[in-house]
Amino acid sequence: MVSQHGILYAVHLITNQFGNLVAKVCECLLRNGALTLQAIVRRTELSPAKVRNCLLVLIQHNCAQAFILEESVSGEDAGEPGKALTQYIALFVNILHRVRFSKFMDVVSKELGGSCGELFRGLLEHGRLTVKQIVDRAGANAKESTNTVQEDLGKLVMAHYVECCPAPEPLVPPPDADTKKRAKSSKVMVEPLTLEQRVMAVAMPSAMRRFSFVPNADQVADDQQNVNQPPSKDVGEKRKLHDLESDTALEEEVECNWRANFEELLRRLRHKTCVDTIKVRFDDAAATVLSAMLEASRAEEDKVKTANSVPLSLNTIYEEVVKNEKNHSMTFDHVRTCLEELSCPPTFVKTDDESYSIDFTKITEAAQSEEIESIVLKRFGETAYKIFRLLFRAGCLMETDKIADKIFAEKKETSKTLFKMWQDGYLLMEKLVVGGTTTGPSYGGSSYLLWKVNKRLLRETVLDEMFHAALNLNLRLAHEIDQNKEVLNLPPDKREGPDKQKFDRLRNVRLLIHSSLMKLDDAIMLFHDF
Amino acid sequence: MIKEVVNVKNKGKKHYMAVEFEPSTELTGGAWYDDDGNLHVEFINIVKKCCLQKIKQLKVATLETVLQLFKTSGVFKADLKEHHFEEILGALVLDNEVMEVKSNGMGEFGAIPEGKVCYKAFDKQRVGAAAEPRIGAMASMPCGVCPRIRSCTPDGVVSPSTCVYFQKWLEF
Repeated sequence: MVSQHGILYAVHLITNQFGNLVAKVCECLLRNGALTLQAIVRRTELSPAKVRNCLLVLIQHNCAQAFILEESVSGEDAGEPGKALTQYIALFVNILHRVRFSKFMDVVSKELGGSCGELFRGLLEHGRLTVKQIVDRAGANAKESTNTVQEDLGKLVMAHYVECCPAPEPLVPPPDADTKKRAKSSKVMVEPLTLEQRVMAVAMPSAMRRFSFVPNADQVADDQQNVNQPPSKDVGEKRKLHDLESDTALEEEVECNWRANFEELLRRLRHKTCVDTIKVRFDDAAATVLSAMLEASRAEEDKVKTANSVPLSLNTIYEEVVKNEKNHSMTFDHVRTCLEELSCPPTFVKTDDESYSIDFTKITEAAQSEEIESIVLKRFGETAYKIFRLLFRAGCLMETDKIADKIFAEKKETSKTLFKMWQDGYLLMEKLVVGGTTTGPSYGGSSYLLWKVNKRLLRETVLDEMFHAALNLNLRLAHEIDQNKEVLNLPPDKREGPDKQKFDRLRNVRLLIHSSLMKLDDAIMLFHDF
Repeated sequence: MIKEVVNVKNKGKKHYMAVEFEPSTELTGGAWYDDDGNLHVEFINIVKKCCLQKIKQLKVATLETVLQLFKTSGVFKADLKEHHFEEILGALVLDNEVMEVKSNGMGEFGAIPEGKVCYKAFDKQRVGAAAEPRIGAMASMPCGVCPRIRSCTPDGVVSPSTCVYFQKWLEF
């Protein structure tokens, strides 16, 4: 369930990039869940043609997905009995990714170089492209040869930064069968998948198909086209049939659309966040060792929110560390010492029989706690900071006087701070009446106020505030640009005195807001995606 | 014949006691309260500072180690018991000056039995360590610390375009 400000922020991003009409359709889907075309038309009061075009834009840019539910449709959209209707769902996560393109570009360019980065940029800009479109674009922009482009695309697919697009209208089975199967095999309580997750799980091609790129497929397709011309007298029927079959397979291959694989990119950013967290808490050497562990275990990671990395031996970790020239001076003992430090409580690296694995959950939780504590300290003050840390660690209800004793604060100040935090949704409060009758303490009983941090609710509250803050930053930037339109329209040589000052100020405002947005987006990923 | 004693839990009411009796810690508040029933903030801060210094010297310390060190040194005239030091160490943890961890018997915890609760100071002197706690992304912008964020809407009385905190933040 997307929060209120999450929806507002997503709609703002779509409005900025695709206009009001597309944003209206997107908002309709975000607020109402999956809808058919007719339902969207009814709710948005736009013509079917306009809605269809808006949906095409959203699908092209991977912000929406079409699907058909296997179970029979009923209710307001029921057509003929048993007739499956195509529904559309907004992909909130992919909408958020649109502000991260520069981060994704950075990851790809650093690993695979400038030409791959340029090709990747095209996929981000256009959402999805066929091989021919990629080749044509590269040829027009940088005059790259077809072979070079195909080579770069191959590298991107092999590194899993680019994937084959999902099926356009997959058939989604009912949820019960899927949940039961997962629960049976895991023997633990399984959280049901959201509709978005179920749709994407079915729409995604198999792992082999998803990352299978055949270079020169278009060249082969061109050759096939030559074969399809009037046959010579030597070609018999059997051969024609064989050619037709391979022709169809190749057409499917050639027509495959390619897009950025956000899952892999998110995984890299998660790794980066883990390394940064360790660097702050320990030192550069520990961060280097963790980085090496992440690199060595990367291939085995199959989802973004993996709890632990695969176990690695000390030798494997050391070999990975010294692969990088900058780390040649690190000794085996130094690596072992770093691992021992990381294994000390709080245990960011688990040890088991001479093997080491990273506990991603612990690192992520530590980073999240740091972020929330920072907010509490700045917003409510030092007393609130101590109260929050006490209740967060305790994980249970605590009475006001006991809290005051633990943090060595006056009871009046403690009470005031607790109420402020409760009003902003950072704490839960319960009233306990002891003794007397149920009608109140005036009949001989006393009442106590008990306080608690609910970690799950708190994370949701903070995430919603982050979406709100991100939206505000965008709106403020738009306001500043609007206020200084005349100065922006002046040619550089005409900007003098107060106009130049305004222009310089606006440049600084833009830099500050953009860098704050990037930093805030890292925090949003920490709470929403990692 | 009688004397007035302060009840820290109910300072508004006057309490009297015969002079030959000593009030219990429930009334006086114990070692952390002065004769007027107020929290002795200065004394508490001194004890905290001393404990932190000891832990930094030892790198890792248990409650018993800290207690023993102060008993032998006789630094404090006040009769501080084990539970007093436990409260102080708890407060240092909440101040984020020390970490409360369980020993795993390895490395720097080698001398401490596995599973024993101990305290480790944050090493703010190491290369690359920040002198002050890191300010998070939300806390470094106006909305993150705004007391009016719940009333803020794009077109409302409190909005990003009219916000005075934003105005101040964007003053160059």
